[in-house]
Amino acid sequence: MAAGQTEVRTGVTAKGNVKSPLFLERFRADPSIQGLANDAHGVARHDFELSGVFAVADVEPLQGKLMPDPTQSGSVRVEGLVEPAGASAFRFTGEALDIGTAESVFKRVYLSTRTDLRTTMHRFNDDLLEALTGERGIAETKLAFIRQMGRTKEVWVADYDGENARQLTHDQSLDLSPAWAPWGSEIAYTTYKRGNPDLYLFDLTRGASYPFSTRPGLNTAPCYSPDGKWVACTLTRDGNAEIYLISRDAQTARRLTRNERIDSSPSFNPAGRQIVFTSDRSGSPQIYTMDVEGSNQRLLTLEGKYNDSPQWSPKGDKIVYASRHDAIFDVIVMDATGQNSVQITYQAGHNENPRWSADGRKIYFSSTRSGRRQIYVMNTDGSDVVQLTRGEESFNPAVGPRPKRRIAQASSG
Amino acid sequence: MRRPPNLATLALVAMTAASLTALGCASHKKVSTTVPPPPPAPTETETTAPPPPAPPPSTTEETETVTSLRDAYFDFDDASLRSDAKTALEGDAKYLESHNGSNVVIEGHCDERGSVEYNLALGERRARAAKEFLVSYGIPATRLTTISYGKERPFDTGHDETSWAKNRRAHVVSK
Repeated sequence: MAAGQTEVRTGVTAKGNVKSPLFLERFRADPSIQGLANDAHGVARHDFELSGVFAVADVEPLQGKLMPDPTQSGSVRVEGLVEPAGASAFRFTGEALDIGTAESVFKRVYLSTRTDLRTTMHRFNDDLLEALTGERGIAETKLAFIRQMGRTKEVWVADYDGENARQLTHDQSLDLSPAWAPWGSEIAYTTYKRGNPDLYLFDLTRGASYPFSTRPGLNTAPCYSPDGKWVACTLTRDGNAEIYLISRDAQTARRLTRNERIDSSPSFNPAGRQIVFTSDRSGSPQIYTMDVEGSNQRLLTLEGKYNDSPQWSPKGDKIVYASRHDAIFDVIVMDATGQNSVQITYQAGHNENPRWSADGRKIYFSSTRSGRRQIYVMNTDGSDVVQLTRGEESFNPAVGPRPKRRIAQASSG
Repeated sequence: MRRPPNLATLALVAMTAASLTALGCASHKKVSTTVPPPPPAPTETETTAPPPPAPPPSTTEETETVTSLRDAYFDFDDASLRSDAKTALEGDAKYLESHNGSNVVIEGHCDERGSVEYNLALGERRARAAKEFLVSYGIPATRLTTISYGKERPFDTGHDETSWAKNRRAHVVSK
């Protein structure tokens, strides 16, 4: 039975753990560039699996025409064709067929240099997900994190899957807690490069950073408001950690919390009207919410002795945080009302720093499950855990926004 | 544009999705509502003060000549001064009284457990608790500055209570 598009969208985005079968054909290509086609296929397969939406099965290209199979209504078959386009470029045609009806439901042509193969296939994944589910994927988003480098810690940036990791800052200092601006070309972070833990803004377009808040004491835990006009952060200029809103032009600072205990780690709700944060005003760290004016502060977590690092989900309905229980840290997801908390990591080292992906289908986090702290990603129900960083310790994952929509070079279907 | 496939119905025809889902749900754990009571024995690592590292042998209270600065140690997730921390800071106060030209930086440090951000705030509280003690002892606040390194500059990189106890400190250093 066919359903309306709205129902389709609701059905797929509601549960990340119900996967849709996707039959992925080997990509067709002239034998001279079959290697390139196989590379493109590998990235597409990796992206579909990491999306958390599809159960991927490999199939050979069809010899004839696809016949409708109503028993497989809604299953998709994905075809790819790779053709040369000059010496260093190629043209990729991606198409998806509904196996139930044998009709084409997505077809798009991409022109790409060979160097940009991963980027192009990531865009194909996100376009296809948007067409099939109404919710764009996250393969084009970037991941920032902190990596230990001997005695220093620096900000690094990678693709959403940890690939193409590169060192962003060269402060030769202690850099911590990166946070993306909503427009995607700026990262706020704490650095000790001038001795004090100051907040700096790194402009990725210019490749340079400049001071944002250098008040005496801590300038930490930045989080941009959804409209990008404010940075919520923790300052200790008043003697102990309080949450402030500082305008992006650094001209105005508003204090939001007032008590003798720690208030830290603010995160906005998607409407930009409320902030979830950590406070130990009850004696141990717990999760609280307040309005952006600082009013209506209330305790949200009713379970657990030690709860920290909250972040509001992109859709606003959930909050993820780290909880310490039985001397172990694990990731918990609860409703934004504080109800229905569900532990989604278990029996695998300490799991902290949870951060939603831009589409809310994934949660990035750091874990010591393989020894050193490294960054992982999983579905929101805790399934499909994938390790994204290796080597030196990595932590403080921060997920960037989706890139601004651009018009595809060519499209049809 | 033709209609996208009805992915909502796909769960029914998925080969493995249903069983995977069932498994995933079965292994979900609700956050424990019944926290087991802490053991009565004073071995609870979070509340019991571990023995502080031995002071340098040359420093003795009796002689009243304090020749070096000492650190104050803390319990887990706590910035209040234990009696051994106060003893150490009293020694520091005497040192500062007898070394009038000497200014100090008090660094707040934490063990590795918990978030970067919370531990920075906790380290700040520890450094300020030590500073306030010294000020109340009569040391001018202008001679004392504080900085928190949270859990980012551990003295001992081990992963057990012995290491953690050494890392939860207000580290007093001459400028």
